[in-house]
Amino acid sequence: MRLRLLRDRIPTRLDLRVFAGYCLAAAVYIAIGVSVTDFLLSFWVGVAYIVLAAWAVPTIVRRLS
Amino acid sequence: MSWAAHDLEPYAFQRHLKLKVAFVPLLIGSYSPDMMTKWFVYGIHIGPWDLKATDPAKFHRGWPGFGFTHSLLYGLVIGLIIWKVFGSKLWGLSFVVGQFAHALTDTGDTVGTMLLFPWTFHVHLNAWAYAGQTGRMTDAAAYFSGLGSMWDAVWMVYGFYSWRVLTSDFFDNYIYRGDRFWPWINRWVPRGALLTIYRAAFFYGTSRWIAWTIWAHVIHHYPYDLSWGGPHWVHAAHP
Repeated sequence: MRLRLLRDRIPTRLDLRVFAGYCLAAAVYIAIGVSVTDFLLSFWVGVAYIVLAAWAVPTIVRRLS
Repeated sequence: MSWAAHDLEPYAFQRHLKLKVAFVPLLIGSYSPDMMTKWFVYGIHIGPWDLKATDPAKFHRGWPGFGFTHSLLYGLVIGLIIWKVFGSKLWGLSFVVGQFAHALTDTGDTVGTMLLFPWTFHVHLNAWAYAGQTGRMTDAAAYFSGLGSMWDAVWMVYGFYSWRVLTSDFFDNYIYRGDRFWPWINRWVPRGALLTIYRAAFFYGTSRWIAWTIWAHVIHHYPYDLSWGGPHWVHAAHP
């Protein structure tokens, strides 16, 4: 029971891999944003960027490989 | 005025309210008070014209002006309209929760909000300077140098502490299952893309917070002033 509770609180390897992907996407977003602050202003630009970086690109790469 | 809290708060509510709220109207509610007004507060250039409110703080938060969008009554009225017109009590209630969070969060600055409109008294805690009238860049520099950005950081840290709310399992069991909007849109948009869209506001709020902090303190060296009502190097607006 205790082990199950602990397992629920600790991210799985897959969770960490997904998180690492988002961190990488965030690093690029932040670098662009700091250089061109207009990039940071629109919520929709943020949504489009993350859908492209965290879903579209990995999906395309997975299909190609 | 908050720069990231309105992106992040909905995830904290979602963690605790689970199926009792729907995420999309919760987020729309959280954004709604500023949706129509922010551009006119900061001003825009269209060809030879400069469009900007003559008194941005009053236009944004006061009366006469659009300050009523930051009142509890506004949230209730729009929530009721959503409930009765679209027939979804869940959407109506979720909108109200999001809009209340925005109206209450913005009481933290020096202008505050007319929470109990039509009573035009501004509830304001004066914790951080409202500097919207100085333009977008100075406002960003001031906001990310004062307690406002620390308040955003609280929501960010709480979001990371509640990391399960961002997982695929949580999305499937509570977000997707709790609101017919998601299965409906899933007819055209794949589930993986929907999961990313669900996480987008958290990504946007967090990344933007880090980027503006770097811009203000690493690139431009604006001084931090975490005293109550600060930063005092900027002219703060008051009601």
